[in-house]
Amino acid sequence: MDKRTGLYKIGAIRKWYIGSQLIADVLFAVAFSVIVSALVTDVFRASELWVLLLFVLSMLILLFVRKSWMVKDGVISNFLDQHYPELEESSSLVLKSGDELNLLERLQLAKVEGYLQQIPQSHPSFLKRIKLALLLLIVALGINWLARKHHSLVSIANHLAISSEKSKVPEIILPEISAVNVTVNPPAYTGKTKREQDKFTLNVEDGATVTWKITTNVAVKQVLLLFNDKEIITLKSLSTGKIQWQAQKQITKPGFYQVNVDGKLSDLYQVQVITDQPPVIHIKSPKQYTYIDAGEARKISIDAAINDDYGVGNALIFATVAKGSGEAVKFKEYKLDFSTSFSGHQSQYNLQKLVNLQTLDMEPGDELYFYIQATDTRQQQSRTDVYTVSIQDTAQLLSMDGMLSGVNQKPEFFRSERQIILDTEKLLKDKDSVSTQKFNNRSNDLGVDQKLLRLRYGKFLGEESESDINPADEKNDPVGDINNYGNAAVILDKYTDKHDNAEDAQFFDPELKKQLKATLTEMWKAELQLRLYKPQEALPFEYKALRLLKDLQQKSRMYVAKTSYNPPPLKLEKRLSGDLSKITEPAYKQDIKPGTDQFENLKKAVAILEQLKVKPQLNELDEHVLALANQQISLKASAQPGIYLSALSAMRRILSKQANVKLYDIALVERAIQKTLSPPQKTPASTQNSIDMGLSQEYYKNLNRLNR
Amino acid sequence: MNWNTGVIITCILLAFFVVWKEYARGNKARLLQRIIAVVAVVVAIACIALPITYHADIAKQDNSEAVLLTEGLNTDSLNLYSAEKLFTLNKDIKNTIHKAVLLNNVDDLVNDFKISRLRILGNGLYAEDLQQLNHLPVIFNLNQVPVYDGITTISWNEKLKIGEELNIQGSFRNSSAKKIKLILKGLSTGLDSISIGTDTLSSFNLSTIPKSAGNNIYRLLAIAGTDTIERETIPVQIEPVKPLKVLILTASPDFEIRFLKNWLSEKGYSIAVRSAISKDKFNKEFINMQQFSLDHLSASLLGHFDVLIGDLAVLKTLNGADAAVLQQAVTQKGLGVVIRADSTQRSNSWLQRDFPSDRLAGKDPLPVSLISQGKTVKFAKLNAGMVYISSQNNTQSLVSDEHGRILAASILAGAGKLVFTPLNNTFSWVLNGNKNDYANLWSLLITKAARATPVAEHWSILSAIPSLSNPVQLQLETATNPSSIKIGEADIAPLQNSLMPFEWRVSYRPQVSGWQSVKQANGLLNWFYIYKDDDWKIIRTLRRLADTKAYITKNAISLNVTKQIHEKITIAVSKIYFYVLLLIAFVYLWVEAKFL
Repeated sequence: MDKRTGLYKIGAIRKWYIGSQLIADVLFAVAFSVIVSALVTDVFRASELWVLLLFVLSMLILLFVRKSWMVKDGVISNFLDQHYPELEESSSLVLKSGDELNLLERLQLAKVEGYLQQIPQSHPSFLKRIKLALLLLIVALGINWLARKHHSLVSIANHLAISSEKSKVPEIILPEISAVNVTVNPPAYTGKTKREQDKFTLNVEDGATVTWKITTNVAVKQVLLLFNDKEIITLKSLSTGKIQWQAQKQITKPGFYQVNVDGKLSDLYQVQVITDQPPVIHIKSPKQYTYIDAGEARKISIDAAINDDYGVGNALIFATVAKGSGEAVKFKEYKLDFSTSFSGHQSQYNLQKLVNLQTLDMEPGDELYFYIQATDTRQQQSRTDVYTVSIQDTAQLLSMDGMLSGVNQKPEFFRSERQIILDTEKLLKDKDSVSTQKFNNRSNDLGVDQKLLRLRYGKFLGEESESDINPADEKNDPVGDINNYGNAAVILDKYTDKHDNAEDAQFFDPELKKQLKATLTEMWKAELQLRLYKPQEALPFEYKALRLLKDLQQKSRMYVAKTSYNPPPLKLEKRLSGDLSKITEPAYKQDIKPGTDQFENLKKAVAILEQLKVKPQLNELDEHVLALANQQISLKASAQPGIYLSALSAMRRILSKQANVKLYDIALVERAIQKTLSPPQKTPASTQNSIDMGLSQEYYKNLNRLNR
Repeated sequence: MNWNTGVIITCILLAFFVVWKEYARGNKARLLQRIIAVVAVVVAIACIALPITYHADIAKQDNSEAVLLTEGLNTDSLNLYSAEKLFTLNKDIKNTIHKAVLLNNVDDLVNDFKISRLRILGNGLYAEDLQQLNHLPVIFNLNQVPVYDGITTISWNEKLKIGEELNIQGSFRNSSAKKIKLILKGLSTGLDSISIGTDTLSSFNLSTIPKSAGNNIYRLLAIAGTDTIERETIPVQIEPVKPLKVLILTASPDFEIRFLKNWLSEKGYSIAVRSAISKDKFNKEFINMQQFSLDHLSASLLGHFDVLIGDLAVLKTLNGADAAVLQQAVTQKGLGVVIRADSTQRSNSWLQRDFPSDRLAGKDPLPVSLISQGKTVKFAKLNAGMVYISSQNNTQSLVSDEHGRILAASILAGAGKLVFTPLNNTFSWVLNGNKNDYANLWSLLITKAARATPVAEHWSILSAIPSLSNPVQLQLETATNPSSIKIGEADIAPLQNSLMPFEWRVSYRPQVSGWQSVKQANGLLNWFYIYKDDDWKIIRTLRRLADTKAYITKNAISLNVTKQIHEKITIAVSKIYFYVLLLIAFVYLWVEAKFL
């Protein structure tokens, strides 16, 4: 008996275990499918049915991988042995049949049996997976909620975008009209196809052709469309029964229109025009001003992006090359096309073009001006700013003009950089004819020359040793030294302005010194290349150094043009006499009428509307004012139908006097008036005198007498 | 011969006649009785014909109390006064409490002499009604009054000129736990709003610049969450500006004057400019006015203009006659002068005496933001220059900069005003396209200085919130006797103030709410607004409470001492006694003749 209860106990624990495992698996599957559905529905817009399928599939996989129902009693007893020491590793005895047990085992069984009954069926470790699965499920639900929120926001936005295209208020259609079919044929440049709608409110592309097909439920004599209260379009009857009517119009400007069936006018319908924007061009490279130094590759890479709302038709680079200088400057124009084909009329293009300046016949000293012009499918053009690329003129750098004329205040060694360049070029020319050893030696010699030159220029900056010339490796910063920690003198030395400093006590201004320093840096780089036996690489640095030196030279010059002025001769007899008798006094008289207020009628209408709220009656004069105000709102509505159309139709309802005037209509018109009117400017005004029969005058007189 | 003696003589003669007739009668039985009877008849007739009175002392007991029920009444409190006589002026209260007697006027209550004390329940009465109580002692328990939530005070400028700001100020009590939003609406558009915190009594200020002229109605809405808890009307009259006549004198032609002239002339103002271009040579310009000589100032010339704008240098160096004429025109005739200061810091000229200036230390001051008097919105930045006016006791600062330095000030000069300003490059605002600040600044300066225009009549409304339920008090100020005042279609007679002969009072009971016109013969049409009875309810209630409270403090009574008042009165003897006497006498005479 005892043994069977033991077996039963272990079986129960096994059932618990399997049950908990199965629940955990189901939860895992749910969590997994929830996560996947959250991520997937957002991207693929899959339906809920797929989620169910996913759940079943994932659960089956989990179950068959784990196969938790196949757990044996032995495993359970082992588990129990491990977790409950009071069982003394003997729970497996229960599983054995009574015959197999020996005496000792039987005694042990009898001892353990009692404990076994006390063991709870469930163990915390069974629930571990369930807890984990629950946690995962909560996280999954959270993700799903977030995804759905995002999704709903997106879909609301989409919905709004769509609904705003439709009219917000339901249209009121004349009872005679049984059906309307409006076909909008967007113009070719949009690349859009024909679309149809059953509403009168139009939201069409600029230049679109709109065809109305109106079916009436009774035979009518005439159907008209009245645009902006001015333009009339007559619809043609398609059938003999005078039931089907058709008309066509190209829409180019916004406004409103009404349908007129046998003299009966409909509500106002809005016409909105989507205008085409010109293409937008953005040049990513080169920069607005590009300077190509001697020795650099004479190529520029143009990288541009062009956007348009419907499609880009074409894009071209208009380049102008300026040759020569002064009066001898010549221009030559080029039209360069991008290699991309624009036949696709896409709305965005990323364009690259590598322009070889030599193919444009450009020489040193020449300048290239270019801009990009893009055309969209509607032949609207837009162009960029003009970009400039110039090539350095080495010939001018090497010329002696600047030095020969005028007073030369610079020391003679200014010429040496030019000499080094000449020598470098000669060395390059001789490269093939001399041995490598000799080439290297000559290159090294040039490096030495460059170094000497640099040292000499360094003296201008007050630099005396070789090491402190390169500004790049200023590593011995005394302030940064740990040994100087807390030494105020060192910090003061670095940051104070020392007036008696040798470096500052020169004629050069800081700007000049900066440029001189930059020159020295270039020389350093040139020397480096020369010492590495790479005179070709050294050349650009040498040129740059020379250019900077030339600039320095030019800075010390100035030019004052000669001027001449011949004053008229003085009449000495009139001088200092102070006689003004013959001078007439000027007097002007003019009448300036203040401009008429174009919104006068709207302002007048305000009071009438206010009165209408209390007493819904209009006399003839009021009606006239309101009619004039109506015209002004109508003008506004034809320009901005989206804002003013509702006010216009409200105004017409008020004027029609069909029924009692609604307060809502008055509010609509008032709002439109408030929007139209601009706040008036303040003007000076006088106060009113109080009427006191001269009392205050008398008071003032007496006060004056008393004060005297 | 008066009635009494006539009656007495006639009756004596009649008495002798009837006595003699009795005596002469054949049947001498019961002669004495019959004589007595006929004498009694004559006496009775005499007494009926004569007014017979007697004097008596009566003791008045001062304990007759009446209860007047007014709006805002707590019906539960009525149980205490079930024994008292109840009166009310309000039809609605009469409908709920049938016992109460409906009165048309408080007068009726006073005329009932038995009432010696009045107990008022509810929110009390207006001062006008209380006045009619004729100092009757009143008991009014202020502690019973509940706290009212809503707009408790309100004020706005009811008459505006075009371009001026409408400012609505007041206070709002909110004892609820909800935040309340006050919205100012005009033309169905929200123009300004403010949020009132919970459980506070906070003041608010809403403002807007009205866009259209004429009689406008703005609305003030108090919104808690989505409920509108108060919806009040704010009637505003916006009047067009009458262009002024401006005379400008400058020492040299300059940009400031040129821009000022252009701005004023395009608004239709009449301007005459005289700028010196050489010694005794002037450049003269006349815009929107007739051409005349400007070489010398004269009283008639200055009389043409409302404002004189002049350089200090020109005004100080006027020759003796011109200067005297100018001073006369300002102090006696009320001409205004806008003085454009230069770098002189002080002088004894009457034009500069009250505006001592100071100079800023240092060079080239930075541009500063200018602040107009009493405004919170600053003007744009302006390079105001080095000179500023130092503060003086009797001057009024008009414009100052952000550091509090005064850049325009005004002072009274007799009947006129002087405005003094060292600003001389405000035209840079116009160059920057900032026309608004320019217009506001110069409007302020010129308006402040401009001569007050004489008017023939001036109407004002004395009632705070004129409504349908109370008579409206209007006041007309006019030098001539008003004739045929019409409010709408109704003719109204005015009452002259006994002390101020130019003040006339008009009392009117409006029939309809909304704008009403008032006009006296050959006067202008004036408008005033009649509110509906449920407009500004809380303010009206508070007003009643305050009025009643003030009445009580003025007419304080000692409650517990009820003293006997002895009074001698004349009492007429009732005629019925004499009729009875006459009847008895006649009956005796008839019975005696018939049966005895």
